[in-house]
Amino acid sequence: MIPPEGTKREIQSPGKSADPVTVPANHTHRIAWFSLVTTFREERFFLLLAVFIGIFSGLAVICFRLSIDWTRVALLGPAPRGHDIRLLIAPALVSLLVSVLVIHVFPQVRGSGVNQTKAALYIYNGFIPFRTAIGKFITAALAIGAGHSLGPEDPSLQIGAALASALGRRMDLSREKLRLLAPVGAAAGLAAAFNAPISAVLFVIEEVIGRWSAGILGSVVLSAISSVVVVRWFLGSEPLFHIPTVGFVRPTELIAYVVLGVVGGFAAVVFSKSIGYLRPLLRAQPRWTHYFQSAAVGLIIGLIGYLGAPQIMGAGYNYIDQAMHNQFTWEVLGILAGLKILATTLSFVSGTPGGMFAPTLFVGAMLGGAVGGAEHALYPHLMVSTGTYALVGMGVLFAGFLRAPMTSVFMVLEVSGNYSIIIPVIVANTFAYVIARSLQPTPIFDMLTRQDGLVLPSLEEEREQRVLLVEDAMEPANTPLLNGNEPVEQALRVAQAMNIEQLLVRVEPSGWSCISKDALQNLAAEGKEKEPLASALSVKRLPWLYPDLPLDAALRFIYRYPIVPVVHRADRRRLLGVISSQDVLNKYQTLGTEEETVEI
Amino acid sequence: MLSSDMSSINPQQMARRPAVVLVTLVILAILGFSLVRHLVNRFGEQRKALSRHLYQRSLTEQRRGDSQGAIADLRSALDYDPDNFQYQLSLARLLRDSGNIPEAETYLVNLWERDPQNGAVNLALARLFARQHLTQKAIQYYHNAMYGVWGNDSDGERESIRLETVHYLIGEKAFPDAQAELISWTAVLPANSELRLTLAELFAEAQDYEHALEQYRQVLRHSKKAAALVGAGKVAYQLGHYRTAQNYLTEAARAEPQNKEIKQMLDTSSAVLDADPFMRRISSKERNRRAESALAVSGKRLQDCAAARKIDLSAASNTAGLTPLYQRWLALKSKERKITPANAADARDSMMDLVFDIEQQTQSICGAPVGKDEALLLLSQNPLGVDR
Repeated sequence: MIPPEGTKREIQSPGKSADPVTVPANHTHRIAWFSLVTTFREERFFLLLAVFIGIFSGLAVICFRLSIDWTRVALLGPAPRGHDIRLLIAPALVSLLVSVLVIHVFPQVRGSGVNQTKAALYIYNGFIPFRTAIGKFITAALAIGAGHSLGPEDPSLQIGAALASALGRRMDLSREKLRLLAPVGAAAGLAAAFNAPISAVLFVIEEVIGRWSAGILGSVVLSAISSVVVVRWFLGSEPLFHIPTVGFVRPTELIAYVVLGVVGGFAAVVFSKSIGYLRPLLRAQPRWTHYFQSAAVGLIIGLIGYLGAPQIMGAGYNYIDQAMHNQFTWEVLGILAGLKILATTLSFVSGTPGGMFAPTLFVGAMLGGAVGGAEHALYPHLMVSTGTYALVGMGVLFAGFLRAPMTSVFMVLEVSGNYSIIIPVIVANTFAYVIARSLQPTPIFDMLTRQDGLVLPSLEEEREQRVLLVEDAMEPANTPLLNGNEPVEQALRVAQAMNIEQLLVRVEPSGWSCISKDALQNLAAEGKEKEPLASALSVKRLPWLYPDLPLDAALRFIYRYPIVPVVHRADRRRLLGVISSQDVLNKYQTLGTEEETVEI
Repeated sequence: MLSSDMSSINPQQMARRPAVVLVTLVILAILGFSLVRHLVNRFGEQRKALSRHLYQRSLTEQRRGDSQGAIADLRSALDYDPDNFQYQLSLARLLRDSGNIPEAETYLVNLWERDPQNGAVNLALARLFARQHLTQKAIQYYHNAMYGVWGNDSDGERESIRLETVHYLIGEKAFPDAQAELISWTAVLPANSELRLTLAELFAEAQDYEHALEQYRQVLRHSKKAAALVGAGKVAYQLGHYRTAQNYLTEAARAEPQNKEIKQMLDTSSAVLDADPFMRRISSKERNRRAESALAVSGKRLQDCAAARKIDLSAASNTAGLTPLYQRWLALKSKERKITPANAADARDSMMDLVFDIEQQTQSICGAPVGKDEALLLLSQNPLGVDR
């Protein structure tokens, strides 16, 4: 739209407060043309920027991983084993330092990076302070390196998002694009941390963006791919896990996977409920205790490690690998799963920076291996290896605890590179997801968000929202239906006899129209009562709707037409009902009342 | 890209901005790559040093017999140097030897995919499958190892793999496969190889006595080794070539006079040869004498066996089937004095057929015989080859 010359236009800087400036009239045309060109260019530029975000996120995540490794070696030694005094001391002492940093220097690094990225997208116009990225980098590297039971993926995700946000602010992008940069960076960070681009893209769509949006998919994919390329460039293409030979042999084995899904579902509920209960409890403690909460947890974790279970310290990827290769008995696997849930819960609720992805995979793998081992002990004829259960178990916890069902399936496929296992994964994940959702309706990320006083959209909630269709609001076609070849006088007689204001007219070959009683009377007054309706009418064709369309589709028409026909998809001449603006409003009112009742 | 200070920038300037931004981003990326490259290299060196330290520690633990400690350290070494072929191979071998087959297989298959020609990896995989008694897979990887790439002493490695393969196959009782391996090996072995004696022994273990005897003979052509004499005597004995066995065992007994097994086999061979009525270069009278002696010996064996098992030979029938044999024996015994030069050959054949039947039947009922009965039983197994 080009405004008249010489007028004033208010141009608001995206992402900034409204600050109207006056553009001289002689520049207006050029700026308008420039706007069109730049809109097109911005799309392409955004894609290019996504690639750079991927590159920078990849580089940052590499540095982050190196920092964690270096800290771990420096604090816990190159090969931590039980009864090493360093395991007991290092986590507690480092946690004290981390607490001071979190409380005084980087207060925003507390909490989940996923939620902070989501908040940036939906609340802060894509803004994530760069300081948060620096803080997350330092504190998470220290905490995870010192043995806190947390993973590097969530901080990586947030580092990626913060980098993207900082980069976007320098680019003066539109507000819409600026908002989308955070998830683009998040996908890059997560992909780099996981070395799994598909899972990262799906997770960002499921958990951060919260909806399937074609507009952003390309950028998210590009950033994820480019970050993974950078990571593989520097750190090699070695997969995260050395997956043993796994497979799905007999359909009866699915029963065993169902058991795993059920156990995983309950474990996920225990895990998330513990966090949900303890987190606000610890946060409500006096401020001075916040300095020591993380240290106390560090001491507990150090003690567990010192007493013989150093496997639960840190991210624990190498132990997941060992679990998949039958390195532990099923009893040990069960104990490790329980200890890891305890350690991760305590680490997370104490406000120690770090993520829950790696611990979730760890718990899942151990639990899967334990269930598989126990099933083998009970039914020795079962053919499946414990490694297969451990692999499926990772997906189970991911589906049950993080509540990202799509990601959970693709994550297992991506890290295993084995398609034959898809059926057990889907079956077990579905059971875990359904059980977790029934017993803990609010997903973990939404629960954390609400504890922080925010309400952000969730794909899971969106999935469960009732979508109203045209068929829910339409009314049966009680009005008489006229054909276009019937004379005007007959139509008028019908209208007068039934006292109807609007009549539907079927116009050959397959159109619809409507005519009011007044219009019919006018035609009769003009002496056109013998003429067929179709020729007498200056036919205004009506749009039509199908019953399965969302009710939103009806809103586009009903304000212009008194009624809109709802027709059969296979035969547009067949009338199924009619819909009016009043019908739509009534339906929305009814739904609103129902939802209010449910909430109360 | 609209900014709040747009009024101060003309559109041409704004159009140029993406190019400037892109150039800046490229420069930043190059700088970032350089920095990260430097960090990764430095950290990589540190990790390599740590991995070497852990590897050395694992070797020490292996020497001490602490395989679990060695595995833990090798795992940690691989955490710091995940692509190290040597560490992976060592870990896979340790895992295999400590019974952790699935993980060992995963490591080895990964290594094999990286370098399918590597002899050491193929050998490790072969041993892994050998442990699991997956014979065909084991043979496949043993063959890969034989023809794979080795270091300096490739011939020595290949020889020891062949040896290991044959030992494995014999252990698995896959004798035809073992024989095939040995036959192909002999084809490439020099005539005077020190290994020929080993091969002969392996042929014997693989129950291919013909080839074993052939190999012993080749060895003996070059030197009269006692082991070769003993081996040749034994395999000739196993083949039922008692004349040959007697010759070799006589020499072997001279070389090893204390060896009781040789003496016993020599005695048995001599007994078989003495009992054989079909031997060449003996008189008809001697043949008749041997046949009659055999009939008497077998008759006694039959009666002794029946008595030991409490079987009534005069009963119309018995489950052991000895009665018909006894009746045939009685019938032949009564005709014994009627052997004439005209019917001597037929009579001897009839007698010896009965003798062989009796010896075989009584063996199944009363166990392995000794002395002359043993000689007759051995004779029954290969009556025409005894004199070879």
